Amino acid sequence: MSVPHTPDCPRCAGDAVTTVTTSPVPGVWEVLQCPRCLYMWRTTEPERRTSRAAYPALFRLTEEDIASASEVPAVPPLRTR
Amino acid sequence: MPYDDLRSFLDTLEKEGQLLRITDEVLPEPDIAAAANAAGRIGEGAPALWFDRVKGFTDARIAMNVHGSWRNHALALGLPKETSPREQVEEFARRWDAFPVAPERRAEAPWLENTLTGDDVDLFRVLPLFRLNDGDGGFYLDKAAVVSRDPADPDHFGKQNLGTYRLEVIGRDRLALQPVPVHDIAQHLRTAEENGEDLPVAITLGNDPVVPIVAGMPLRYDQSEYEMAGALRGAPMPIATAPHTGLDVPWGAEVVIEGVVESRKRQIEGPFGEFTGHYSGGRRMPVIRIERISYRTDPVFESLYLGMPWTECDYLVGPNTSVPLLKQLRAEFPEVRAVNAMYTHGLLVIISTAKRYGGFAKAVGMRAMTTPHGLGYVSQVILVDEDVDPFDLPQVMWAQSAKVNPREDVVVIPNLSVVELAPASQPAGVTSKMIIDATTPVGPDVRGNFGTPVKDLPETAEWAAKLRTLLAGR
Ligand SMILES: Cc1cc2nc3c(=O)[nH]c(=O)nc-3n(C[C@H](O)[C@H](O)[C@H](O)COP(=O)(O)O)c2cc1C
Ligand SMILES: [Zn+2]
Repeated sequence: MSVPHTPDCPRCAGDAVTTVTTSPVPGVWEVLQCPRCLYMWRTTEPERRTSRAAYPALFRLTEEDIASASEVPAVPPLRTR
Repeated sequence: MPYDDLRSFLDTLEKEGQLLRITDEVLPEPDIAAAANAAGRIGEGAPALWFDRVKGFTDARIAMNVHGSWRNHALALGLPKETSPREQVEEFARRWDAFPVAPERRAEAPWLENTLTGDDVDLFRVLPLFRLNDGDGGFYLDKAAVVSRDPADPDHFGKQNLGTYRLEVIGRDRLALQPVPVHDIAQHLRTAEENGEDLPVAITLGNDPVVPIVAGMPLRYDQSEYEMAGALRGAPMPIATAPHTGLDVPWGAEVVIEGVVESRKRQIEGPFGEFTGHYSGGRRMPVIRIERISYRTDPVFESLYLGMPWTECDYLVGPNTSVPLLKQLRAEFPEVRAVNAMYTHGLLVIISTAKRYGGFAKAVGMRAMTTPHGLGYVSQVILVDEDVDPFDLPQVMWAQSAKVNPREDVVVIPNLSVVELAPASQPAGVTSKMIIDATTPVGPDVRGNFGTPVKDLPETAEWAAKLRTLLAGR
């Protein structure tokens, strides 16, 4: 399988996808990541995980979703001495 | 003899016919997770799965489903593989009484053989990482035991925690961590963040089979998982000092990852298919910066599939959730006979108890909800009589169908605490809780017509033995 150019992020459609690592056997797969939503995937995974068009609506994220995601656990107040 | 590492346990599983080597080449996704998922769908006695021909990797060694059946769980405790779930829980409870058993510090841990530091730190060089479920945000370490200390009391050995917390790989040297607020590591992190300090952690992977059992066990905050491991093993747990953080880690681990939880930082994490059979995430969660990776030569990567129950996770946290509840309840109510907290880490619990007087069983149910684990889990309690086996679900259903008068015996208490991951909570983290009292009322509770129960005939036990012999001799 060839990876001609890096695709958009399947999950948030971000276009700044980076290569995290490549297969120890050269040319078999790459692991890609979207710096915006941190989604990480291997190029040989099923289409439902690797292509924007096939990525389930249920798991898609928008920039607003990321910005408004709740903090778990919340950062506590700094202790003043 | 207890196992000091994962490899020796895998040897035993293989000898016992409980390890299946997948010899065909597989894809990292979806094959490994799908096979481990399938192990939970082929009936009783599923084996552990071993993969070493994984497309694109040159030397992957992956173990899945190591605790994923009652047989494997029994073998992990050094019991015969036929031991029933109830007998495993009873033996577990017996061994608990030896707690605490001080660990034994050993030098020359096998994971000191190889080290990556500085710019060389790269999880992908050491671990054949892969995704579990479709909606997961990335590749996870979900069977690690994470060690941290209480920053306010760093020398207290018991307050040092060993716990299983999901870790998402978000970079070659970065992990996201999910500390559920009721769990010990969340308390450590809170103190560190209040002080504006990073929290040092050691993440251990591929451990002897008792480590995942104690790391997922709801012990009291100041109780040491290592001292509990010693009790369960019947011998001191071998530990070693992690070179970078000084934390105490299992001597026999395959991989030890050291670093810090970066103070007061949160980044998008998840989703991840959780033990509830539902995804959780994406939320903004704490981030770990990895500073050192130590590993055995030819490390084995151990992981676990979880999703819609039952999966390996349910076997792993079944007995280890039931026994602490049994012990904590019995400390105040010796009438409690047995506790089955095997459903979704104890969101639902079945308790068998004798009755001190009318209304007593409901009090036992309320106490279960206020144990340390109960505060975050126990949302439904079914109470049954002392002669009903809470592990025998048909018997439990009989008790509930015959003994419960819903208006008086079902109690619902609104707005109590539960883990945010509980899918039915509303808002997340708050739920109503229910007690179903399926015990026989005793005085002064005089309700119902229970005066003439039908008991097994006095001769039945003898006949059961006779039938078994006749059947065996056919
Ligand atoms: C496979 C697995 C994954 C788990 N993931 C998490 C997690 O991400 N966060 C968490 O707080 N607890 C998680 N747990 C549950 C805790 O390990 C468990 O409740 C344990 O008893 C916590 O103990 P502690 O409060 O003594 O640290 C997980 C358990 C297992 C078996
Ligand atoms: Zn994205």
